[in-house]
Amino acid sequence: MTTSTTSSVIPTLPGRFYTDPEIFALEQRNIFETMWFCAVRSSDLPKPGAFKTVQVGTESMLISRARDGSVRAFFNVCRHRGATLCTEESGEVKRAFQCAYHAWTYDLDGKLIAAPNLTKMADLDRVRYGLVKAHVREWLGYVWVCLADEPPPFERDVQGAVAERLGALDLIDNYDVAGLSVGRRIVYDVKANWKLIVENFMECYHCATIHPELTEVLPEFADGFAAQYFVGHGAEFGERIEGFTVDGSAGLSRIPGVTEDQDRRYYAITIKPQVFINLVPDHVILHRMFPLAVDRTVVECDWLYLPDVVAAGKDLDKSVELFHRVNEQDFDACERCQPAMSSRTYREGGVLVPSEHHIGAFHEWVQDRIG
Amino acid sequence: MIPVCPLASLPRGEALRLDVVDPPIAVFHTDEGDILAIDDTCTHQDASLADGWLEGCEIECPLHASRFNLRTGEVDAPPAKRPVRVHQVVVENDVIHVVPSDAPPNLPPGVTLKGQA
Repeated sequence: MTTSTTSSVIPTLPGRFYTDPEIFALEQRNIFETMWFCAVRSSDLPKPGAFKTVQVGTESMLISRARDGSVRAFFNVCRHRGATLCTEESGEVKRAFQCAYHAWTYDLDGKLIAAPNLTKMADLDRVRYGLVKAHVREWLGYVWVCLADEPPPFERDVQGAVAERLGALDLIDNYDVAGLSVGRRIVYDVKANWKLIVENFMECYHCATIHPELTEVLPEFADGFAAQYFVGHGAEFGERIEGFTVDGSAGLSRIPGVTEDQDRRYYAITIKPQVFINLVPDHVILHRMFPLAVDRTVVECDWLYLPDVVAAGKDLDKSVELFHRVNEQDFDACERCQPAMSSRTYREGGVLVPSEHHIGAFHEWVQDRIG
Repeated sequence: MIPVCPLASLPRGEALRLDVVDPPIAVFHTDEGDILAIDDTCTHQDASLADGWLEGCEIECPLHASRFNLRTGEVDAPPAKRPVRVHQVVVENDVIHVVPSDAPPNLPPGVTLKGQA
C-alpha cells in the first residue's frame, strides 16, 4: 500500500466560478474596474476628436484623443441625467461630445462647455460637471485605462507581468510593439467565461490534440508544456520551419531589434486580467479580452507587423492564418467547456495535471481578488 | 459706448461675454484680426454664442450648430431662424468698446429682458 500524500493532480475552481452572475459581478468590480485594462490600439485614435467606446467591467468608457494629442478616458455618461453620451463603437467628433438628450456639450478634455440655459446657472462649475475621467497610460502602442480612484502601479501589474515571463522587461523592447502597424484584426465573440480563455492560453496540454498546425511549427508543444510554464523560454521553431505561418513557409520581414536568441522562437505572455501577447520574429499578436457576461467574452486580436510590411500590402494570409486557426481551435474548446460548468458533476470542479499546475496560481489570484 | 476690456486681453480666436448689458453681448476677435460684436444669445434656444465655435467671421452655436454671421447677424440654417443683432465696435486707446444696437433683440422662447418677466 502506498502512503504518498502528494497527488499528481490539483483541483480547479468549482464550476460555479464560471456560471454564477454574482461571482462575475465581483470580478467586474474587483478585477476589471480596479486593475489596468488594455482598451484600444493607439492608432485607432488617429487624430483629435477620434473616439472608441469600450466595455470595462460594468462601465462603458469613452476613449478619445484630445486637442493636444494625448489620450483621455471618460465614463461614457452624461453628467446631467445619465444618458449614454456616445452610442457608437467608434467615430470622430469635430470639436465636442454632445448628449443627444438635452444637448449638454463637453469639449475634448471633458469640460462642460455648453448647455441650454447654462448662462442662467452661473454657479454650475463646468469642470465639476464635466465628464468623469479614468486613469490612462499608453504602452506598447495601446491605451490602458484604470477605473480605480487610486490605480495600482502600472510597473508592477502590467510591465511586471512581462518581466516575469520574459525574464527582463527590456526584452520586449526588441520587438518595438508600439512602432508596429496593425496588419489584421479579427474579433471573436466567444460564448465562454473569460477565465476559461485565460486558462486555455496558459497551458499547452491541449496543443497536440487541437492545434495540429501550431504543433507542426513548434514541435516541443507536443510535450504539453507551454511557453508560459517557464521563465524566459521561447518555444523553438521546428527544423524545417521557415516562419511562423500556417504551413511553415517563410514569414514577413524580421523586426530589426529581435536578437539571435529571440529569433525562430515563440514567446507568450499573459498580463492579467485580459491581455495575451505572442512574440515571434516577424510579428506580434496581441489579444484583448472584453468580458461582457459570465458566459460571454469578446476577444479582439491584432496581428502587428513592421509598418513597411503593412504599407506595401504584403500578403499576410499565411501568417495570420496560423494563429487565427489557433484562436478558433481554442475558443471552440472554451465554448465546449462552458455548458458543462453547470453540470452537477463539475460542482467541485475538475483537476489540473502537472503541466497545468501553474494555472492553480491564477485560480488563487482570482479568489484573492474577489475575496 | 460701453468699455469691454483692453485689446490685449482678447486674443485672436477668443470670445468674451459682456453681461453688464441686457441682453448680453458677445465680442469676438477673429483669426483675421477683426473685432466684432453680436447678441450673445442664440435666437433658437438659450445658449451663449461666446461659448460657440468661431470660424472666419461666423460663430456656430455650441448647442445645435446654427451659424451666425458676425458682420450681418444673419443665420445660415435652422434650427435658429431669426438673426441676432450686430453692435458697433470701437477700439479707443487700446480698449475695446461696444455701442449697443437700439433695434429690438430676437430672443429665444423663455428669455426676456430684465424687468419684463
